[in-house]
Amino acid sequence: MKWIPNFNSSNSLRVIFVIAVFILLFLSSIAYRHNQDLNDSSKVVMHTYEINIQLERLMSAIKDAETGQRGYIITRNARFLTPYIYSRDKVNKSFINLKKLTADNPKQQQNLKNLFKLIIQRFNSFEYCLKYSDPKTYDKRKLDNYMFSGRILMDNIRFKVDEMNDIEQTYLKNRLKIYDDEISLSPLFSILLFLVALSFILLAYRQISRDIERLKIFNKKLLISNGLISESEIIGKFSTWQWDLDSNKIDYSDNQYRLLGYEPHSFVPEQETFLNFVHPDDKDIVASSMEGILNNKILPFVYYKILLPTKEIRYFKSTGKLLTDQQGSKILLGINFDITDEHLLNIELQDRYRELEKSNKELASFNHVASHDLQEPLRKIQTFISRVSDADKDIMSDSAKNYIIKIEASAKRMRVLIDDLLLFSRTNTTKKEFIKTALTELLSNAEAELAEVISEKEAVITAGKLPKLEVIPYQIEQLFINLIGNSLKYSQPDNIPKITIESEKIDSSDYPEILDQSIKKFHKITFTDNGMGFDPQFKETIFVLFQRLHSKTDYPGTGIGLAICKKITENHKGYITADSIPGKGSVFTVFLPE
Amino acid sequence: MQKNALYILLADDDEDDRLFFKDAFEEIKIQTNVDFVHDGMQLMDHLNNPDNKLPDILFLDLNMPKKTGKECLVEIKKTDRLKDIIIAIYSTSSSEEDIEDTFIQGANIYIKKPSDFNTLKKIINEVVTVNWHYHTSGLNRDNFLLRLK
Amino acid sequence: MKLFIKFDINTICSLYLKQNLEQLNVNFTSLGFGEIEINDNIDADALDNLKTKLSPCGFEIVENQKSVLVQKIKDAIIELVFMDDSNNYKSSVFLAEKLNHSYGYLSNVFSEVTYSSIENFIILQKIERAKQLIIINEMSLTEIAFLLNYSSVAHLSTQFKNTTGITPSAFQRIIKKRRENLK
Repeated sequence: MKWIPNFNSSNSLRVIFVIAVFILLFLSSIAYRHNQDLNDSSKVVMHTYEINIQLERLMSAIKDAETGQRGYIITRNARFLTPYIYSRDKVNKSFINLKKLTADNPKQQQNLKNLFKLIIQRFNSFEYCLKYSDPKTYDKRKLDNYMFSGRILMDNIRFKVDEMNDIEQTYLKNRLKIYDDEISLSPLFSILLFLVALSFILLAYRQISRDIERLKIFNKKLLISNGLISESEIIGKFSTWQWDLDSNKIDYSDNQYRLLGYEPHSFVPEQETFLNFVHPDDKDIVASSMEGILNNKILPFVYYKILLPTKEIRYFKSTGKLLTDQQGSKILLGINFDITDEHLLNIELQDRYRELEKSNKELASFNHVASHDLQEPLRKIQTFISRVSDADKDIMSDSAKNYIIKIEASAKRMRVLIDDLLLFSRTNTTKKEFIKTALTELLSNAEAELAEVISEKEAVITAGKLPKLEVIPYQIEQLFINLIGNSLKYSQPDNIPKITIESEKIDSSDYPEILDQSIKKFHKITFTDNGMGFDPQFKETIFVLFQRLHSKTDYPGTGIGLAICKKITENHKGYITADSIPGKGSVFTVFLPE
Repeated sequence: MQKNALYILLADDDEDDRLFFKDAFEEIKIQTNVDFVHDGMQLMDHLNNPDNKLPDILFLDLNMPKKTGKECLVEIKKTDRLKDIIIAIYSTSSSEEDIEDTFIQGANIYIKKPSDFNTLKKIINEVVTVNWHYHTSGLNRDNFLLRLK
Repeated sequence: MKLFIKFDINTICSLYLKQNLEQLNVNFTSLGFGEIEINDNIDADALDNLKTKLSPCGFEIVENQKSVLVQKIKDAIIELVFMDDSNNYKSSVFLAEKLNHSYGYLSNVFSEVTYSSIENFIILQKIERAKQLIIINEMSLTEIAFLLNYSSVAHLSTQFKNTTGITPSAFQRIIKKRRENLK
């Protein structure tokens, strides 16, 4: 639907938002991982310290045992033996703890195992020391031996414990170093990402505010055009309605209510509502056209009557179209025109046209029949007069003879009139068959027709090259006869009549006032004579039926000849003009379309 | 000029016209027998009767009751026995359409009824003479077209 | 199929005459222009027989001396008109030489028998020739006018119209439509 403004930015906005959200998600996952890492590293530190403590405890227990034993050996007081006895338990306890703590480290386990062996050996050497220091079983050499070996074992144990501590320390150091590396990198990266996300969001914000500005402008425009539409609906007497086929909701424009004789929104339109307003005569047409629109998607104009609540009949013209909007829902859009005024005017015009046509037809047939049927009795009168022989005339009185002559002259004049009238009506009524004809041929036919007058007046007719045109042959022949005949009739008595006929091709645009501009090319044929001419002020009127410039006694004629010429050129979509210089001659110009 | 008088038949419903016609033929030098029928039906009956001699020239009015001249013309031209008769249309009409139409239908001569008795005589004389020329000088009768005013 | 046939009346006539006379066992010599000389004596019955035999096609034995001369004049005119170099002859001279009579005498006899003049007959024949040429439709009016010794197309048209009452183009149109009608 084209009329909804298209906001292209909404898509890019979406992209920006998605990117920003991803960046934020990424950032929070990184933070989470750092937390995790910190946790891990503190656990590692704790672990190392615990191992350290346990090892220290182990050492101190052994040292306790050693100190207790030494005290006992020296004093022989059994009280000194107490720490020695407990130390064994303490060692075991620490040992178990250590075993647990180093479960994930096989190297430390191995070390622990070795340490344990050394400790057992150490305790064994304690036992031997006690045994050989006991006065009962005293053996100086053996005691010295065991004391000495106990010393060495002690050193070994210390060494081993130090080694284990060292291992833990290096391990801790390494782990802490890795964490340090990771943690020192991430803040910069996070800030960078955060800035990017921020700029994206800012960008989106800018776009949104810009779109809002545009929306505001469009909204304003829409409001204006909505107002204009409803105003123009009122002025133009039309209305629109929309029928959402999916939701089956029908909307009438304000003017639709008005056209139906109601205040806007005074009822809720439904599918059948409109049909209720349609005049009973036309309900079927409208109903079927509504169905047609659903099938054909477009409604050709349908004309029908509407019955207003006031029982007034209005004439409507409607059209419609099935539209599919951007969301894909189908909307039937309809326009109703109230054409009552035009319709009534049209009816009146049609009636008038029919009347005119009828009277025209009547006139033409009357003209034809009258002149045709008038011929019959006139011919008889003339023939009977002609039968009055000279011998008959001899015995008549002079006045009777005179009357006969008068009758003859009148009858003759009537004959000419009737013949011309018939000719004129025939240029209207006979079938108009256009045949491609050489005008030269028609001109020579015309000359043949006028041969008698031409030779009598010794007229000189010169013709240039004439075109070949689609014409009604005998009408053009008649045109030539009339024009040449006219020139011959109004020739100057003491001059040999000279008629020059020339033709040239012209553009209709050269004569915009008189020629049909839908036809491009015309042939302009001029008939120039050296006759008596006429006063140019009559150059229009000479083509009017029964217009004569001369008295009928001077120049017999009916005033029909040139009217026929005009009629013939009109029949050919052409034009005829005349001009003259009195005493010099006249020019008749015929325009015929190519 | 001719051993036997020329046999002329006029089909016309107008009594005055028949009278003029008869008088005109009586006044010209050429020897003729003139017969009349009053309408198209009578004409066709006359022509279709094998006992009747066929006319040398048939003068045919176009505007006749019962059967028009045009209808008779078409019928005659369709009948083998009659189609060679020289037909002269003898009518009041001077409409180009009527004239061309009857010529196309096979008429040989078209005469517009004159309004002067002497003209009538002149015309009849010309028709008979030209017809005689066609008859005696080996002219192609298919090309025999003559229009007289 | 539609064929246009050009034919020569004179040839047809002499051929027809020859065939019929041969059928009747008449010994004859053709002198041309419709004149024949019968070499044997022929009785009245045979002559009647010959008359009836020839009549259906319009042949007549011309008995009157003046009629014979008129027939000769007509034949001579037809010959003149249908000659392709007819332009070179003046008709009165041609007829006088051909028929060994003064033109004045020929003219008088012709008018007496036919009630029309030699000039009219010549015009009639020329127009007849023009009609044939128009129907054959091989030549333009200008060419026809030249061939028939007219000073211009207008002159031919005028004479055509005077003789037949219709213009050459109307004639052509009518004959064309007649043929279409016959189909």
